[in-house]
Amino acid sequence: MSEVTETPAAERAAKLPAQSPPVDPAETAAAGHAATGRLSWWRGDGGEGARRNLGLIGVLVALIVIGIVTRPDLYGDSSWVWSNFLTILKLASVVGVVTVGMTFVIIGGGIDLSVGAIVALAGVWATTVATQSYGAGGMIFCALTVGLGVGLVNGLLISYGRLVPFIATLAMLVAARGLAAEISNKQTQVSDNNTINSIASTNLLGIPLLVYILAAVVIAGWVLLNRTTFGRRTVAVGGNPEAARLAGINVKRHTLLLYALSGLCCGIAAIMLTAQATSAQAAMANLYELDAIAAAIIGGTLLSGGRGTIIGSLLGVIIFSTITNLFAINGLSTEAQNMVKGGIIVAAVLVQQVHFRSLTQFLSRNRLTTT
Amino acid sequence: MSEREEGAVTGGHASPADGGAEGPGVDAPLVEAPADAVAGEVVLRLTDVVKTFPGVRALDGVQLEVRAGEVHCLLGQNGAGKSTLIKVLSGVHRPDSGQVEWRGQPVTFPNPQAAMRAGIATIYQELDLVEDLSVAENAFLGHEPRRFGFVRRGHMARRTRQILGRLGHAEIPPNRMVRSLPAAGKQVVSMARALSHEARLIIMDEPSAVLAHDEVGNLFRIIRELTAQGIAVIYISHRLEEIREIGDRVTVLKDGRTTAANLPARDTPTRDLVSRMTGRTIEYVFPERAAAAEPAGADLLEVRGLTRSGEFADVSLRVRAGEIVGIAGLVGSGRSELLETIYGARRAEAGTVRMGGRVLRPGSVGAAVRAGMGMAPEERKSQALLLGEPIYRNVTLATFARYARAGFTDAGRERAEADRIADSLELRPRDVRRPVRTLSGGNQQKVVVGRWLLGDTKLLLLDEPTRGVDVGARAELYQVIRSLAEQGVGVLLVSSEVPEVLGLADRVLVMREGRVVREAPAGELDENTVLDLVMAGSLMEGAAA
Amino acid sequence: MTQHSRDLSRRRLLFGGAAVGAGVLLAGCTSNESQEPTTAQTKGADAAAGGNAAPGERVTIGFSAPAADHGWIAAITNNAKAQAAAYSDVEFKTVEAGADAAAQRAALSTLLSQKPDVIVLLPHDGKELNAFGLEAMQAGVPVVNLDRAFPDAKAYRLQIKGDNYGMGVAAATYIAEQLKAKGVSNPVIGEIAGIDSLELTQERSKGFADTLAQHGLKVANRRAAEFTADSGQQAATGLLQALPKIDAIWNHDDDQGIGVLAAINQANRKEFFMVGGAGSKKAMEDIQADNTVLKATVTYSPSMASSAISLARLIAQGKGMSDLVELQVPKEIILASETITKENVSNYLKLGF
Repeated sequence: MSEVTETPAAERAAKLPAQSPPVDPAETAAAGHAATGRLSWWRGDGGEGARRNLGLIGVLVALIVIGIVTRPDLYGDSSWVWSNFLTILKLASVVGVVTVGMTFVIIGGGIDLSVGAIVALAGVWATTVATQSYGAGGMIFCALTVGLGVGLVNGLLISYGRLVPFIATLAMLVAARGLAAEISNKQTQVSDNNTINSIASTNLLGIPLLVYILAAVVIAGWVLLNRTTFGRRTVAVGGNPEAARLAGINVKRHTLLLYALSGLCCGIAAIMLTAQATSAQAAMANLYELDAIAAAIIGGTLLSGGRGTIIGSLLGVIIFSTITNLFAINGLSTEAQNMVKGGIIVAAVLVQQVHFRSLTQFLSRNRLTTT
Repeated sequence: MSEREEGAVTGGHASPADGGAEGPGVDAPLVEAPADAVAGEVVLRLTDVVKTFPGVRALDGVQLEVRAGEVHCLLGQNGAGKSTLIKVLSGVHRPDSGQVEWRGQPVTFPNPQAAMRAGIATIYQELDLVEDLSVAENAFLGHEPRRFGFVRRGHMARRTRQILGRLGHAEIPPNRMVRSLPAAGKQVVSMARALSHEARLIIMDEPSAVLAHDEVGNLFRIIRELTAQGIAVIYISHRLEEIREIGDRVTVLKDGRTTAANLPARDTPTRDLVSRMTGRTIEYVFPERAAAAEPAGADLLEVRGLTRSGEFADVSLRVRAGEIVGIAGLVGSGRSELLETIYGARRAEAGTVRMGGRVLRPGSVGAAVRAGMGMAPEERKSQALLLGEPIYRNVTLATFARYARAGFTDAGRERAEADRIADSLELRPRDVRRPVRTLSGGNQQKVVVGRWLLGDTKLLLLDEPTRGVDVGARAELYQVIRSLAEQGVGVLLVSSEVPEVLGLADRVLVMREGRVVREAPAGELDENTVLDLVMAGSLMEGAAA
Repeated sequence: MTQHSRDLSRRRLLFGGAAVGAGVLLAGCTSNESQEPTTAQTKGADAAAGGNAAPGERVTIGFSAPAADHGWIAAITNNAKAQAAAYSDVEFKTVEAGADAAAQRAALSTLLSQKPDVIVLLPHDGKELNAFGLEAMQAGVPVVNLDRAFPDAKAYRLQIKGDNYGMGVAAATYIAEQLKAKGVSNPVIGEIAGIDSLELTQERSKGFADTLAQHGLKVANRRAAEFTADSGQQAATGLLQALPKIDAIWNHDDDQGIGVLAAINQANRKEFFMVGGAGSKKAMEDIQADNTVLKATVTYSPSMASSAISLARLIAQGKGMSDLVELQVPKEIILASETITKENVSNYLKLGF
């Protein structure tokens, strides 16, 4: 009878840290599987994301309440409220599309600092006199191809050139803005194409076309992330690239595709933004990369990859555009608005770190000690 | 000798306070160790300690008694509550109920610093040293001797040298950067830190796991010196032979309860200990080999002249369908690297890998997987698992694309397949939607192996499949591996534990310094022969990498 | 080669071909050739009435302006180049000013070491480049400061700039007059500013607010944009949302005004009129066509760059302005901000940028 427990550890046997019982509170909490009865309703696959999103909706409601309190005159008019709602969505639409791409890149373990620059380059390229001569179809094709192309270059540099994403896309940020300035000769290029310009002014069934585009991209993004092999690979590649690789997933190719996807989203955003501004210039979409990253993060996307939701990112973008709107209707300055945005980012991340359950535990414990 | 009434509590859950009034599910008169075992005063006594986390009773009535100058071993499977117990003792968690008596006084430690001040030091598996500070700075981290707000470096270095001397390691210079020390040296620094706090109880969580074979002896020498000075040691290890060698008394935990307390470490039969841990008696561990000693299968894998400089050279081997081939060798002998190269995770510099006669594209995991290979890598958490993802998604990580239609995944089918695997591997807990991080090491390993049972895997590469896996789960894993082979899967197995290779494999390759030095059917080798081959002429420094 | 890898390589070939094709197609799309070339605002040597334009001593003029990210700056550089080219006796040396004051300082030191006869300079920031002005002046190279003033009077020989405060005054005056003519009581006035952190934006807003106050009016809501069309569009969208009824808007900058006008069209609003700023060609064309809410713009003309080159040449040659009595060029010239409306737009069209 040979018993393994009797065997001498013949040589070095560096054992893996094995002490991970299923009871470590940090671990179970991080996994979001509350076993307590009153919290059990959000157990399941998307439990944690749903909880986060509920928090974001709470923030949105709070912002709207502030709006109602500060401008009861405006909020008293129901048609204004509706048009304001649509305005907020329109405002969110361009950054929202960029953020969907960004969310994929971040979940996949990367970062794309070049999104604003890609929007500018695609917008400028699509509004040159030569491109405009091909009509709306030519302009859209151009913007999408430029976005996709620049994204592919990012992806090639990162996956096969082994550049750190931060460096590669930072370089692309500078280079793409430079190329945009070169192409536009530093001028604002006015779009004379009415079809393109009408993208920003057309309403279907009372809802702006831009909002439909945003919705389409968000839904496509959600399906792609949650229901396709592409999404599964994204989570795997971002969550544990080595495990993904050893499971036979082509990590490099997938990384390349993620940046291409981000670039494609930038191409779509470029058309939307060009239509809104009826023009394009090298300086446009300024700092969109920060807006998109911030929105993804307050939406619950883990900056180290492997976790994130499209809906969370969308809510993040809408929260930002609601803040902008709130400051506009109250006539407050942009500086104060930026400070509040910064505060919201910090608060959102802090709230995510304090787990809801440990908070309730803390509260109940304190109640016990005080009574 | 299998029923020691006085020292053991049998039956695990099924003894609701039958023996006494106080303990939930535990016999009250626990402390009945043979009088001659330990003479020191009791420094630590835990009575009915309970600690719950939402949904889990991690500690469900733990009794523990530790005397000065003894090595008290704590045994239990993963998930038995050892880690939580350590955290309670070291001030990380506070118990919900029950009593912790420290040197005669009931105490609760609000934080780890308080436990440290009281004289309880914990040496965790992952040593919590600051790599870029010196030995002395690490030893006195957080309580550096000061004067006028300035650290007294000279004084600190002198005291560190003294402490290192006490530990028998006066050769470690106090001003050395910890980063540059080998694993064993780092462990000594951890102990020096404990002694710098005048610790009276040192808790060691699997200290031998990071050590080479010969370094373990050194560790034991240090432990003996500590106990000779009256310091109590709580020693946690999976390796029974270590417990036999160093331990004085053993307390066994199962499912958060003490199932046996103060058993004599040397004399208690293994079968007893194992049954206390698992709640069942293990009849045999390694499954019987199939009747036909030589598998009749065709050549599945054929490796010829495979070379990566600095790792291994000119390795040729073959694995037939239904055959388990084991590779024995030290860490650093090139065995893990060899496995990864066969799998395409590393690119060979020379040589070929054939599956079913076809040469595989070098450096391509995808090609290997398509040809029917699967691998369970050495580092489960960092190389194989998406810890935050549900179990079923980890099981289907290599195959989800097969269940997909036009790129759309089929979660229902994936869960069904994962359920099937979970059933056949007896995964616990069974709910495949739980995050994989909540599983114990053995069950995580089942997930990794199960991943390759889903596809049409013809050859399974296993790198240290039982590392960090407790005894009960090991037996189950062996069974799984054997039954895979019986179904015609070829298995190439790498393990540090020679008996595992000998007991499980049909044919064994012994590797030393990147070369195969012996190949033979498992029946023709015994442990000593293999150890001689593995060790002969090998440089321990090289192995310490 | 296996079937699989052959398929793969065929797919790669197809994909590569498509990529190259798209690349070629796109490369052709960068052209802006058929765009009407923007005519630079120059005063040709032949057109000069006095003797100042007659070729004189050969001089080297060094020039530096920030990398243009905006039509106005681009026009400044273009105008300076074109004006210099109009003189046969001027050698024009331009250095890229880079992205910030530090980069510009570095570029200017290089320029100074080449000993030009005079330096014309549009600083990133007047305060930050004051020291360079002093250094150059002490080295005997006169400095012509364009638009962004040095705080130290010894740091420049000539300062020529637009009147930011005056722009606000002009815009407010026009709006007040129009509203009075229409007889609007308690009018709602919106303002869309440029980059808020810039001093010039603050001066413009102050001139606007001060002058409105004199007429008993005030700004109901003010949004800041970033001198880009897309930021103008967003700022204007916010403004329109905040003010359901508006009587007049002043937008500081015609470049961002493209976006502002787009936002107004997208919101389908036309109950108000708008005044622009700077005087771009596009704005002037819109005013002339009179089919948008843009009814006027107050100038801040990049033609100052052309004038700066002319004056720099005179300074280097030691000449005065021939219409003035003084033998030397004056030390400070502030251009008046003019109001362009439908009535006078034809006079200004050639100055539009």
